[in-house]
Order: sequence, then structure tokens, then C-alpha cells
Amino acid sequence: MSSKRHSILPPVSSSGPKPPVHFSSSITIADSAILTGTHPIAIHGESVVHPRAKLDSLAGRITVGRRCVVHERSTLGAVFGASGRITEAAVTLGDYVTVEVGAAIEAGETVVGEGTVVGVGARVGAGAVVGKYCTLTPHSEIAAGEVIPDFTVVYSNGMRRPDKRGVAELRNKGMARQIDVLRRMIPSNPTKFA
Amino acid sequence: MAALTPYTYIQCPCSDLSTLGRTSDPKSPRADEADDDDDDRTFDPRAPRSNYSLYPLEYLLYCEDCHQIRCPRCVSDEIVTYYCPNCLFEVPSSNLKSEGNRCTRSCFQCPICIGPLAVTSVETKPDPSLLAAPDNTAAPHSGPYALTCSYCSWTSTEAGIKFDKPNGIHAQLAKLRNGGLTRLTAKERKERRKDPSHRFAPAAERDHERSALDDKLNLETQFANLKSFYQSQLADPNASDSGLAALSDLGFSSPTSLSRIMSIYTGGSLHDKKAKLRVGAMREALDTDEGLQLADLDESAAIAQLQCEGYDGTASTSQLSDQPPNLGEAHLHGRGRFISDLRPIPYLLRTKRSKRCPVCRHIISKPEAKVQTTRFRIRLVAGSYIPSMAIRPLSLSGGSSGTSASGSAGIPGALLDPLRPAHYLLTFTNPIFESIKVTLGAPAKTPGRFASKVTVLCPEFDIDANTDVWDEALKDPGGGGGGGGELRDRERERERERRRRKGEEGRNMSSNNNQLEVGKIWERGRNWVSIVVEVVPASLRLDHGAGEQPLREDDDVLEIPMFVRIEWEAEAGGDEVGAVIGRDREARERRELAYWCVLGLGRIRV
Repeated sequence: MSSKRHSILPPVSSSGPKPPVHFSSSITIADSAILTGTHPIAIHGESVVHPRAKLDSLAGRITVGRRCVVHERSTLGAVFGASGRITEAAVTLGDYVTVEVGAAIEAGETVVGEGTVVGVGARVGAGAVVGKYCTLTPHSEIAAGEVIPDFTVVYSNGMRRPDKRGVAELRNKGMARQIDVLRRMIPSNPTKFA
Repeated sequence: MAALTPYTYIQCPCSDLSTLGRTSDPKSPRADEADDDDDDRTFDPRAPRSNYSLYPLEYLLYCEDCHQIRCPRCVSDEIVTYYCPNCLFEVPSSNLKSEGNRCTRSCFQCPICIGPLAVTSVETKPDPSLLAAPDNTAAPHSGPYALTCSYCSWTSTEAGIKFDKPNGIHAQLAKLRNGGLTRLTAKERKERRKDPSHRFAPAAERDHERSALDDKLNLETQFANLKSFYQSQLADPNASDSGLAALSDLGFSSPTSLSRIMSIYTGGSLHDKKAKLRVGAMREALDTDEGLQLADLDESAAIAQLQCEGYDGTASTSQLSDQPPNLGEAHLHGRGRFISDLRPIPYLLRTKRSKRCPVCRHIISKPEAKVQTTRFRIRLVAGSYIPSMAIRPLSLSGGSSGTSASGSAGIPGALLDPLRPAHYLLTFTNPIFESIKVTLGAPAKTPGRFASKVTVLCPEFDIDANTDVWDEALKDPGGGGGGGGELRDRERERERERRRRKGEEGRNMSSNNNQLEVGKIWERGRNWVSIVVEVVPASLRLDHGAGEQPLREDDDVLEIPMFVRIEWEAEAGGDEVGAVIGRDREARERRELAYWCVLGLGRIRV
């Protein structure tokens, strides 16, 4: 890579404690991803963590399933409401989950089910349980503690409708394909976090 | 409460009937007449009618020939082109008549969220070759197709609609009914009826077929059946009744048939008997083939679906009203009220319109006919003819003067304190290339329930022309040689300085505690002038007497009606710009323009 283009962003802050990590050998994690916290962070096989994605395990352990894609500037395990902090507040992503750019998933036994897409800038509140193969459209918000059934589309300021396309299989295949490409695009450096 | 940024709305003269035909010539007798009743009438911005006549300056157009403001309500529109907002295809108006006002080029909107729909192939069985195309659109050989919304994940398969080909969706959709059944065209139906194998089938089978047809009768088929039935009914008695040979041309469009119908209603003596006979000969439709559709009052299926899907499964009224008319739709009683019945919506076409002055028929706005360009060939916006007004709260620093405006008055959008004088800076910017004389008139008290006191400190002033520096240099009579540029610059600078001082005599700059003086403008620039308006907001405290109504919405907004009159001298219709300079002054004529406007200053603290 040429050094002509410099990022205007400030350097990635490496402040905070370094969390214990459990990485699968096949993951792709960018050098500039931010992993902080005290609880363990586990990332399973073939998942991709983009640069500047932030995984904060200060509140609880973070588990990312197989073949997930965590995009730039998204935050897993963010704590927004500092008042109601739970001692053990985990974030669990199932397999094939996409967390889009700038999305935030708050800590607090939050579960995002298999194949779900968390859209750009969306927010999943603490303790929410999102079902399998859901779609959260950009900037939609899931309140804390809410339970979203499987195959739900959350759109247009919180409206819900069932997804009847039946493309779950196809979507998984697409994800695998995308991860194939991403693996070639993103230089991985899991040893930095070990 | 939401903060209110100061605004200026201009009243289009079209809402005032007395001014509609008024000429710009001040010497005309009409203007004198109008003055009599105009004088004591103040425009009330709170009157219900005012809602429809007030516009921001940006919304207004200007007719150069009538010298009058034109608002969106008083221009006549002419459609230049029809186009689809999705594919930007220009639709000829001849197509519009035959194919309706919707795009016929596979542009569809989602019935749920009105997002654009894309054609995707429906995955029938997991195909390893699809891996090559993650978005599953590119696979060319894969099976049926459906329209999919990429935002809310709606697919046309939810309504049971699938397409065989990825192109010509509009034509395919017209043939499909909900649930994937094909809709018979009129021709096909006729052929089927004539089909001997169908006709001479055993009676039981025919009955079965007929009952199936009963269900299938939709708007289109019912209309076609009824029409053919009544046509035959009208034709039959005429042929049989030989006694009325003179009236044998009875048909749809015959005038005698009208008189016959009239005699039925009026009970006319002459034709009564025959008419009765004729009515007896007519019968109503008895059969599905004749267009009889029995009302299907059995709604158990709908109720069962409602119980199964709940309220979330029903379509909203807006979703239903967005649905395009569908000829394949069932009769009124079987019409869908569920989300699963919604069909993709072909995009409504949009138009580009040119606007004409209603009085002189001159075009005052004309867009480029091409859909892709956003330019205008002609666009006479009012902003380039009448001065713009900007309102800014004026905080008088020092506070030693008697006004002592409170600190919050200087912040835009802050609430106004009742009974406390507040000052606003009104900046007029002249867009035209002539200097204009502005005369302002505002009532001393605002109309409405709560009358605030208003004082315009300088109601009469001149604004210099909107000339640029180079124009000024050209007009300068002394400047001849090219070498004197710097000299002229300096001279101009000095002249401007002189003018500024002249204008700011009353203002006294900052040396005299920003004292306000009546009759003096506050500040002046190349083509703008600022004046000060003093308001004493009314108290919104209610006297709790009998009959006092509570505060209504927006009662606390302080709005000042203001009458603006502009005078200027313009070239007398001469279009050639360069020739005027050397000419004498007789070629110029005085023009004036007068209109009401409303200054919204802010909300009064309750």
C-alpha cells in the first residue's frame, strides 16, 4: 500500500484494558479494530471484523458466531445507559450475522440471532433478543429488553413485518461469498490482540 | 415550545379581487378609486383566508408584462412532458390516453413501504451455481421471477404473483390475478364460450364449470357480460315489435329511445301502453354469462384470516388507496383487505409544467422539455424583481437607553417578553438594476386578539441599484481612459463613503450608544438598507372574565402585517440594454409595485 493517502482520523486509541480473546484460526480481523474490556471476547470461524470496529467487553463477554461480518465503526457491547449497569452483560451474535457500518449493539445479555442483518446506524438496546434472519433497516432502533421474533423486518421507524421471502439459505451463501472477498481485501492480524 | 425563526411571507395580490386587474400606472383612475377603500383596510394575517395567500418570496413568480407578483395559485399550468420518476422515461401524451397515467416499463413501487421494487429470481431449489451471484439477480437461467423490495423485504410472491420472464413485467402483471391465476382476456373468454367441446360437455360438468365461473367474475368480465346482455336486450324487442316500424332505428344513440324512456318516467299518454309492453319485454340479467353477480356476503374466509393474522395482517387505508385500479379484481364483496392482497404499484407518472400569467398569457416559467435536465428556459422568479426582506433581532448593547432590551431579545428564536419593547432589524435588498424608493406602512397595532404595538422607525427610504462595480465604472461620466482605473476606484470609494455617512447620520455609529432615531435608516450598503422596527408585544394574560376564550394555537406568534410600496424608474419597454445609457430621461417611466407582507417575528412569552 502506498503511503500517499493518510487517514484524517486520529490514531486508534488503544486505551483501556486488553481483553482475553478466543479467536478461531480462520477469522479475519483488521489491525485497527478496537478490542477493549476485561471479559473474554470470542470470535468463531470465518468471521470478519472490519477496521475500527469496536468490541467492548467491559460489561460482559462478547461472542461472535461463525461467518459474521462486523463492519466499520460499529460497536458491540457499548454501554449507553451507565446507570443500570449489569455485572454480567454479554453480547452474543449468532452465525451469519452482519453488523453494518455504525450500528451499535448494547451490552446486557443481548442476543442477535442467526442470519440477522443489523442495518447501518441501527441500535439494538441492552437485553434485546433479536430472532433469526431478521432485518433491521438502517437507523432503526430496538428498545432495551425487546424480543423480536424470527424472520422479522423492522423498517420505517419501528414498523414490523414478517419476511416471507424464504431466502435464508441464499443469504447464507451470499455471506460466505462476501467473506471470501473480504478475506482478500482486509489484511488480518489476529496476533495483535492475542 | 418550538422556537420560531423570523419569517417574511408575501401576500399575492391575486387573493385580493380589487387588485387583480390593477395596472402599474399610478395615473390611471382605477388606482385612485382603489385607494379609497384600500386606505382603511388592514390586511389581517390571522384571517382564515390569509392561509392561502401568503407565500415566502421563493415561491413567487413575477410577470414582467403585467408587472405583478404571481403565486402558485394564480398561474395557469401547462404540462410540458409526462415522465416516470423512476426510469425518467418520457411518455408521449398519446400513450397516456391508451395506457393510463402509470409507467408501463417495469417500474414498480412496493405496496408496503413504497420503495422501488427490483426483479429477482425466485429460488426454487438451492442451486450451487447461484453462489456465483450472491444477490441472485444475475443468474440468467433460474426459474420464475418476482418483484422484491430491498428495503422492507416484500416480494410479489406474498400476493402469489410470479413472472415467467424478467422483462415486460407490466404486461405480465396485467394478466395475473392475485394468487398467480391468469386473467382471461375478453377475446379468450369469447373463444372459450364458443368452443364446441366446452359447449357440448355433459350438463353436470357444465354446471361445475359455471359455478367456477361464478367465483371468477371480476370487474372487467362483469362489465363485459352486462354490456353484451343489455345490448342484445335492446336489440331484440325492436326486431320483434313490427308495429313500431317508424321507431325501428331504436338503439343506443337514437333520440327516440330517449323519448321512450322519458315516457316511462312521466307516464305519457300516447306511448304508455307500448312502453309498458316494451318494459315487459326487457328482463334483467339472470346468469353469470349475462353479468349477474350475486353478492357474496359470506365473509367467513376474511374473518378466519383476520383471526389468524390479526390486525397486522390488514392493509391500511393509505395502502389500499395507493393500489392501482385492477380490472382483474374481484367484485366489491370479494375485495381484498389484507396485506397479502396488495399488488405492486406501477409508478405514477409525473409532469413538468410551464406556467403562464393568467392575465396576459405570457409564459413566466418554462422548464426544459428533456426529463434529465433540471434547467429552465424561462423562469421569472419574484426574488429578482422585488426586494427581499430579512429580519434579525437587534440587541442594543449598553442598555443605557430607555428601551433596555432584555438579553434574550438578541438571540434568534428567543421568546419575546410581553410589554417589553423589542427591536428588529429589517434588511431590504434590492435585486433590480435601478434604485428603488420603498414606502412601508404598518398598522400601529397588530390585528387579532392580542394587539401588539408596532413602530416602523423609518417608513420611507431609497435603496441603491443592484449594480456591480464594473457597471458603476462604465456609467461614470468622468472616467474615459483606461489608465485612470485606480483613480476612479478611489473616487468611487470616496463617494461610497460619503453616501454611507449621509445615510448613517441618524445611526451615529457606535459613538453614541446606538441610539435609535425616528426617520433615519440604521445601515446602508451597496444595494441594501436596514431599518429598525420597534414592537411592544402584547400581554397574553387572560382576564378571567366572562366569555374569555383560552389561548388558541399560535395565538402567541407575533405577526406584523406590512404594506410595501416600491417605486422605481425603468426603461419604457425598451429591451435593448446598451442603447439606453446615452438616451435622455424621457424614455424612462415610473413604475410602482405594492403588496402586503407579513413579518413573523417570534413567539411571545406566555
